[in-house]
Amino acid sequence: MKDYFKKISEFLFNQLNSSEVLILNFDAEQTDFVRFNKGKIRQAGNVNQINLIINLISKHKTLRTSTRLSADFNRDSKPLANILDFLRREIVELPNDPYLMYEKSQSSTNKTVQNNIDAYLITDAIVDKFKLLDMVGVLSSGNIIKGFSNSLGQRNWHESTSFNFDWSVYSKNGKAVKQNYSDQKWDQNIFDRLFSECTQKLHVIDYKEQKIIPGEYKVYLSPSALNEIIDMMSWGGFSYKANKIGSSPLHLMSKGEKELNKIVSFSENLTNGISPTFHSDGFIKPEKTNLIINGKYNKSLVSPRSSLEYSVKHNAAEYYESPVSIELEPGEIKTEEILTSLKDGIYLNNLWYLNFSDRNNGRITGLTRFGCFKVSNGEYVGPINTMRFDETIYNILGEKLIGLTDNQQLLMDSSTYEERSTYNSTIPGALVDSFKMTL
Amino acid sequence: MDKDFINIVKTMLPKVDYCSMRFVNKYSNIINVTRNVLEPIIISEDEGVMITVFHNGGSGYGATSNLTKQGIQQAINSAVHWAEFSKEKLTYFPNLSEMKTQSGDYFTTEDKPWSQISMKDKTSFLMEINRALRSKSKITNWGAGIRYNSIETLFLDTNNSNIHQKISYLLPQMIVAAEHKKETQTRTFGGHAHARQTGYDIFDNINMIEKAKQLSEEAVELSQSPNCENKITQAVIAPDQMILQIHESIGHPLELDRILGDERNYAGSSFVKPDMFGNYIYGSKCLNVTFNPTIQSQLASCNFDDDGTNAEKQYLIKDGVLLRPIGGLFSSQRIDLDYVACSRASSWNRPPIDRMGNINLEPGENTFDQIISSVDDGIFLETNNSWSIDDKRNKFQFGCEKGTLIKNGKLTNVVKNPNYRGITENFWKNLSKVGDINTHKILGTSNCGKGEPNQTIFVGHATPTCLFNNVDVFGGV
Repeated sequence: MKDYFKKISEFLFNQLNSSEVLILNFDAEQTDFVRFNKGKIRQAGNVNQINLIINLISKHKTLRTSTRLSADFNRDSKPLANILDFLRREIVELPNDPYLMYEKSQSSTNKTVQNNIDAYLITDAIVDKFKLLDMVGVLSSGNIIKGFSNSLGQRNWHESTSFNFDWSVYSKNGKAVKQNYSDQKWDQNIFDRLFSECTQKLHVIDYKEQKIIPGEYKVYLSPSALNEIIDMMSWGGFSYKANKIGSSPLHLMSKGEKELNKIVSFSENLTNGISPTFHSDGFIKPEKTNLIINGKYNKSLVSPRSSLEYSVKHNAAEYYESPVSIELEPGEIKTEEILTSLKDGIYLNNLWYLNFSDRNNGRITGLTRFGCFKVSNGEYVGPINTMRFDETIYNILGEKLIGLTDNQQLLMDSSTYEERSTYNSTIPGALVDSFKMTL
Repeated sequence: MDKDFINIVKTMLPKVDYCSMRFVNKYSNIINVTRNVLEPIIISEDEGVMITVFHNGGSGYGATSNLTKQGIQQAINSAVHWAEFSKEKLTYFPNLSEMKTQSGDYFTTEDKPWSQISMKDKTSFLMEINRALRSKSKITNWGAGIRYNSIETLFLDTNNSNIHQKISYLLPQMIVAAEHKKETQTRTFGGHAHARQTGYDIFDNINMIEKAKQLSEEAVELSQSPNCENKITQAVIAPDQMILQIHESIGHPLELDRILGDERNYAGSSFVKPDMFGNYIYGSKCLNVTFNPTIQSQLASCNFDDDGTNAEKQYLIKDGVLLRPIGGLFSSQRIDLDYVACSRASSWNRPPIDRMGNINLEPGENTFDQIISSVDDGIFLETNNSWSIDDKRNKFQFGCEKGTLIKNGKLTNVVKNPNYRGITENFWKNLSKVGDINTHKILGTSNCGKGEPNQTIFVGHATPTCLFNNVDVFGGV
């Protein structure tokens, strides 16, 4: 595939005149998707897709289009030449782009991790293991490729093979245990261990449901649950532009008027190599950007466009200016002693369907879901009814934060809208006092 | 698609119990002007095919953007392999004898075709709207955009079905924000609601410049307004909020694949159980909800779904009583309930699942003035800006951009951050008045997410203004 991308790059670049620059973004995946319900296969199949974004730059103007490729040069070459002609015809009609910026320093990179993952074997292992359980979920498995080239000579390539099995198992009382196993190589021993943990948790969620009423509770937010809160913070919270125009939920922090707890430090950390390090216009991203240090807003993610609009230095953030690989530093609470630390409260394994109820003040609403338990005297009492919460970021990670766990968890985004995501986060759990449940 | 190529492809259909081919060509064009600057224009062509095979108790699909003969053959091989592999491992295998041969077409009418308006004219129009949005000094952010999508589908199967449909829709969008004492308030148009099957002629019916000026004034007014107070009250809900209420608390819970558990790991299930159809009181007697693919220009109108089922209008809820789910032919076979033509896929690279099409609340007999004048103490809620509901679609909370208090039958002061929460099973029983055809709007949202693998699809909702009793409303911090 890399050779094919090189071939079409050269084909297009050879047609340019001296005043033109062309940027290409190559995006491909070959994925087997297997959907499960009731421990059996619901839908199974294979998707093979290649997408190419062609961005023509000419005299301070820019116009781009994306198209699908077949990976057959005889079929693709003519439509690609037609697209270039179309871009040339249309671009003259457009005004100059005052925020146009692209990499000119030719920073080429190459990262390829290829493994042999057999979706049929994995599916057999899954169906065999869950044949007596009410399991529902999805397996996504195969190659993900991101490539960049420009007519100035830069080449970047990021290719990996991976799987992501995201599932939940339901007990007869309608409660569920949610799990995820994602990696670049299937290890049956790890899967066996996760299955064993799942069956143990299923035993606990079969306890009598504990009815929770609206009020304030001491809660433990597991890394998955806390990740949902951090996802909401990322809706503009770390964006330079969103903070300038006032749509950021952290704009009061960025203006120095609010702080989080001193133990809270966030960074955009790309050192795990899961997300590509190159920007869609060719800029190489820094390995680590400290966003919040010891509770204080430090830096935003700044895209090249924002850098020109606001006359600031950019840090190669994409145009949406959201983290793709966020890390929250761990704390000191012993993860294995979390039930003792919680003592009396609610253990929140997952949160669901979050949204803002007052964006200006960072207030978020959402619901409990999957394996949330009442805990008394450091012991599981039973699963809780679904509850709605409504609480501010400044309380959850600020005044009411008791502590963070000493272990972080790597969470791979299982999202597959349009294509498989390469987003991820590394997050500890959080112990929070007086967490407000409203319905 | 080239007819000669299609004829060649037809000869490639494998000898199996059933096979379908669904070719999709999607064209998208997004133009945004933000703070008077044209953002990079997005033009995308997305073309590919999905082959679906049912054979000998197994099923599988293969999808590819490689539309060479070899590429299609590889997709067929993938579909056949997965069908062989999944034999006796499936949650269910459909009764193929109920599938009918279908032929026909459907095309959106574009009186002013998108392709015939120059890019220069479109961007100039958006620049003009930007200037109107910036008409007040306290405005801190503004922008306008147009999203155009055209989706052409060709469906062929081993029953000799041949369906050709081309749906195109357009979504105009505006945003304007004003800041007062470090508090930003935003008004929008179009964002979640105003998508229609139409061409550029949509702008003959919407005065975007006047609307922009109005939104600008409202954003400034909101930024200086008090927070909505907390109370249980009567709420009059405008169509651009009603559509989210219908979508989240009627549309999703009635999706049959949720009820059957397919979505429990992601989008969730439903409080609705199979034995509730035909007898469950979903709402007050003035609640009438239809699955209606027949309204011209509504977002999800069509003649067939993506499994080739003929699309017809059906009542889901009549006089408050729950009648049938939103389930396609295959889902209905799993539980022996009526079906509607709602099996839809976001594109060639995702398999069809149960989806809302046009889910509409039928108009009643009350004028807007009659509704407002009937309220002694309440609130008028406009334009959704926040939505959240539990995985069984029961406990919801919605936020709106603008609230206007109603006192003694009259609209009075504006309040900011109006939110309300409730429980679906109770909420619709408190539907007290339904607006007439003059309050009725044909709207639609283009971003409904669901499914594993994930899919985003466009759905239509037509609704009048409605009045609800006993609504728990509250404001911001």
